[in-house]
Amino acid sequence: METDSPSGGRDRSFFYPHQMFFECMTALAVLAVLVALSFVWQAPLEEMADPGDVTYVPRPEWYFLFYFQLLKYFEGPLTVVGTCVLPALVFVLLLLLPFLDKGETVDVRKRPVAAAVCLAVAFSVAGLTAVSILEDERHGYRMVLPPITGEQIAEGQDLFRRFCQSCHGMDGKGGFFAPDLTQIGSRTNRAYIERVILQPQIVSQTTIMSLVPLSDTERHAVSAYLSRKK
Amino acid sequence: MSRVYKFLDERLNLTPLIRSIADHEVPEHADPSKHVSAFMYCFGGIAFFILLLQALTGVFLMLYYVPSPEDAYASVNYIENETAFGGFIRGIHRVGTTAAVVMVSLHMLRVVLTGSYRKPRELNWIAGIFLLLLVAGSCFTGYLLPWDQKAYWATTVGVNMVASIPLAGGFLADALRGGSEVGALTLVRFFVIHVMFLPAFLVIFLAAHFFMVRRQGISRPL
Repeated sequence: METDSPSGGRDRSFFYPHQMFFECMTALAVLAVLVALSFVWQAPLEEMADPGDVTYVPRPEWYFLFYFQLLKYFEGPLTVVGTCVLPALVFVLLLLLPFLDKGETVDVRKRPVAAAVCLAVAFSVAGLTAVSILEDERHGYRMVLPPITGEQIAEGQDLFRRFCQSCHGMDGKGGFFAPDLTQIGSRTNRAYIERVILQPQIVSQTTIMSLVPLSDTERHAVSAYLSRKK
Repeated sequence: MSRVYKFLDERLNLTPLIRSIADHEVPEHADPSKHVSAFMYCFGGIAFFILLLQALTGVFLMLYYVPSPEDAYASVNYIENETAFGGFIRGIHRVGTTAAVVMVSLHMLRVVLTGSYRKPRELNWIAGIFLLLLVAGSCFTGYLLPWDQKAYWATTVGVNMVASIPLAGGFLADALRGGSEVGALTLVRFFVIHVMFLPAFLVIFLAAHFFMVRRQGISRPL
């Protein structure tokens, strides 16, 4: 690759000034794109941090979304699989890739290891990111709740009696394994109630509350009912 | 210009140094004037340029930023709304994180596709993996600095993940937070990690990365 006489053949190009010119042009183009994008996507600045506000659900930047989504599938004692085991495996696999993918060819079809690792990583990252964005749209982060109707409140009360009251107290009735929800509507907002039903662990990592299999409409009914209990 | 160069060269003997840095042949497959596909070979260079841009905009942000819970939010707000071009600089620093992640990923993808990490370049690939981790770490530690809701709670979640590591997790999480809660010490720690520790390691690994590229030359697709 490197030859003895760098000033040889006429058709060859050198880093300076030839390649340097392209690099500078590219850098200028990149700068222009970044400046344009910085106007399109203004850097957000939310409300000042409030360590007491446990209802806030943080969402990471888009490039960490896949990892947050992955963690959702490993809960309780399995948490360590998502936070350590899998990342460590991927890390080691990446480090070893040059030693696993030896051969001579660049033809991806003849490089099973490289192709498998590449596709697996790319598909998992893209897939998990997509699922995470869809779930955010559906509930939780950008929740769009239907307006509360009398019918909904009645349905919510019925559902509450069937699924929740065995543990949660309400108007002097119900269980005492879980917090009394008689005045829950004055303590928190409806979106937070929705989130707790969807993901009980956001209250605390050690909660014994189980995931109640409610449909979206049923969950909206329960949150409507509870948010009116003031 | 040439007289200035001559003055310096006579005293410092610059020519061999500059030769070794700049005067090397670019292989045909990586020359954009000969093959359009050569653009694949500039992803790494673009990623490097973006890191330089992040350093530059970061230095300007540091002129106003104050890493304390009382002042951090107000200082970022001041940068954003009161200083000349403050919002502009912060906007670029912010978009730059996304651009850095994208370009580093594309660069990695190119290296895998062309099999460039094979012997003798395995060590440079490993240095690259560490650079990826350093970039991700810079993104994560930069989060907390504005001290807004997202900053605080995303960091709380992130540090809780660290805490779940067996054996060392609790110690590491406490070391990161400077206690059991995200607070004033955490903010200073993340600030120092973001502007001193990670950049220092980035410089070291980038130097190694470039040194190896120059020693080994640009790989040739087989």
